[in-house]
Amino acid sequence: MANTAEAHHDDHDHHMPGFFTRWFCSTNHKDIGTLYILVSFIAAIIGGAMSWYIRLELAAPGIQYIDDFQFYNVLVTAHGFLMVFFVVMPAMIGGFGNWFVPLMIGAPDMAFPRMNNISLWLLVAGFILLLLSAVIGDGPGTGWTVYPPLSSQEYQPGPSVDLGILSLHLAGASSILGAINFIVTIFNMRAPGMTIHRMPLFVWAILITAFLLLLALPVLAGALTMLLTDRNFGTAFFVPGQGGDPVLWQHLFWFFGHPEVYIIIIPAFGIVSQIVSTFSNKPVFGYLGMAYAMSAIGVVGFIVWAHHMFTIGFDVSTRAYFTAATMVIAVPTGVKIFSWLATMWGGSIKFEVPMLYALGFIFLFVVGGVTGITLANASADLVFHDTYFVVAHFHYVMAIAAILAMFAGYFYWIGKMCGRKYPRGMAKLQFWVFFIGVNVLFFPQHFSGFAGMPRRIPDYPAPYEGWNYVSSLGALITMIGTILFFIIVWRTFYGEEAEANEWGEGATTLEWTVASPAPWHTHELLPDMTGKAPAE
Amino acid sequence: MSGRTKSNRRLAMALSGFVAGMVGLAYASVPLYELFCQVTGYGGTPQVATVAPGPVSDKKIVIRFDANTNPKLPWKFKAAQTEMTVKLGEQTLAFYEAQNLDREDVTGTAVFNVTPLKAGPYFSKIECFCFTEQTLTAGQRIDMPVQFFIDPEIFTDPDTKDVTTVTLSYTFYPAEPEEKSVDAAEPDNKRKKS
Repeated sequence: MANTAEAHHDDHDHHMPGFFTRWFCSTNHKDIGTLYILVSFIAAIIGGAMSWYIRLELAAPGIQYIDDFQFYNVLVTAHGFLMVFFVVMPAMIGGFGNWFVPLMIGAPDMAFPRMNNISLWLLVAGFILLLLSAVIGDGPGTGWTVYPPLSSQEYQPGPSVDLGILSLHLAGASSILGAINFIVTIFNMRAPGMTIHRMPLFVWAILITAFLLLLALPVLAGALTMLLTDRNFGTAFFVPGQGGDPVLWQHLFWFFGHPEVYIIIIPAFGIVSQIVSTFSNKPVFGYLGMAYAMSAIGVVGFIVWAHHMFTIGFDVSTRAYFTAATMVIAVPTGVKIFSWLATMWGGSIKFEVPMLYALGFIFLFVVGGVTGITLANASADLVFHDTYFVVAHFHYVMAIAAILAMFAGYFYWIGKMCGRKYPRGMAKLQFWVFFIGVNVLFFPQHFSGFAGMPRRIPDYPAPYEGWNYVSSLGALITMIGTILFFIIVWRTFYGEEAEANEWGEGATTLEWTVASPAPWHTHELLPDMTGKAPAE
Repeated sequence: MSGRTKSNRRLAMALSGFVAGMVGLAYASVPLYELFCQVTGYGGTPQVATVAPGPVSDKKIVIRFDANTNPKLPWKFKAAQTEMTVKLGEQTLAFYEAQNLDREDVTGTAVFNVTPLKAGPYFSKIECFCFTEQTLTAGQRIDMPVQFFIDPEIFTDPDTKDVTTVTLSYTFYPAEPEEKSVDAAEPDNKRKKS
């Protein structure tokens, strides 16, 4: 267990800044983390509401509620952008990353605290622009993939797509700056004795994610700028009649887009490692394997992008390569899954709520992952591309697995963040309601997709109605689970006081050595980690 | 400035350089992508050559000719011949006809490719109207030549030796970017009900 040389700072004569300075001009990694989580909650409600509206329409064949199909497409687009850029990324990277990376490595704050704040407010600005894009003009009805020519001025006239592009520019800038901040912090500010190979796996996860962000987001930024100038300034990057190529957009977008999904899941891997270790009272099995598996997933994730483009007419050798490379990613992923199981084997397991969520993650990520292997086959994908089979796949890995990991992180760390315990019984109930809900929601979509139901459609032929109805029921259950979660969030603020380490000796990382709620400033005297057991 | 701050700044600068480099690569991908297709013939991109090797054997292949016009270009555009049987390596001349149906001069550019896409590396053009923009005066009708040959290697490459027909396809677009399209775009296109 880590020993720190840190003195108590409750009596430190900090001049606590006023409300506006503290919350709008923050340079404190904990407050900024809290604000990111708040953004994530708000976006989750809006993005979730959009998805429930979509499922409401799809519950039965025929058009019942949404007869403006541009609006339907806007819902689909905004739902995707909100969930990816404004729910999952802010919560895991901006929220938990900011809160716990400095705490776990024994640093007093991030390397660039003011830039941290800029990242947060850039994200908020991007969020506002995205909402504006949906209500000004006809809204961006392109899907989150924004393919031209549909996204060109000719087919999406007006300012909506442009506002969406600018929204993503800001969100991208926010993440790039955040990535720089995390890399510098993790490389340069670890406490003495905490070598790279002795830092917690969650920190590894954030480090790898930061590198992915750095490499992938600029390509998106370039592509978005090209689309913006095509739409408004007469360039022809993607206009065939003037020598451009719409397929170039696809290459650029997916060169970003595939690493993006690893950006979403790798922090989740980190959270799950921390939780499985804590609640098995055992260090994670195969620390180096885990760290380098995440690195391998990150690296290989950059050379598989065209598995999103199997139907555009690639050469057979090209398709063969991308099929093989995509399947290769299953290997390091498998290393991780088996390592988590090996961590639990022989451990003393406590089925607290964070552990339930982590176990749910492991199981359901595998389910989602294997459908990814199915889709990786170029030949099979010719049938599955743009069907609900794809929708089911990515919702399993992102909407289920990543969200379960976010809940896991919330329940694991909320005591540290706000000093109160969540209501245990209600949280267990919420876990089961949500778990059942998301499975009833997304599992039947595999069947719809297999039967050929296309995606991004507001209506479908009658034979698809059965599984669509079931899926919409699942959406209702999930909605109840989400409402339960927000009730739990509320009740936590009035909950029992949390002790510094509420999870016992399984919780070995540095955040459990500080008080709950964590003091505003921590590790002002660096803890000395030389010779200590790895604080994994 | 403390050593730590200097070290942080240096690393941050290096990482920012990385970011700028990736943006640069994204823009560099534009010409690189075109170059890649031209060099490899991927996507049915025909090659450009200056001289044909001449017929190497009696092996023959059928070439079909396809012509398309973007709706915004007021031209009638078609191939003068539907198909031709040519010997491998032999230089061949084919014609397309275009007529400007408008009352004003109109300039068009053509984009082109071949199918099957894998035949791209083996279809070489020596002379083509597609290399330059074409301006037709009101009502003018012209014949446009294409000089090409099929690389004999097409039958030695295991991937392409089953090809019996290659189709050369052109699509003519208006050369100027459409200023009209923004105002003329149908606002109710996207509100189509089922």
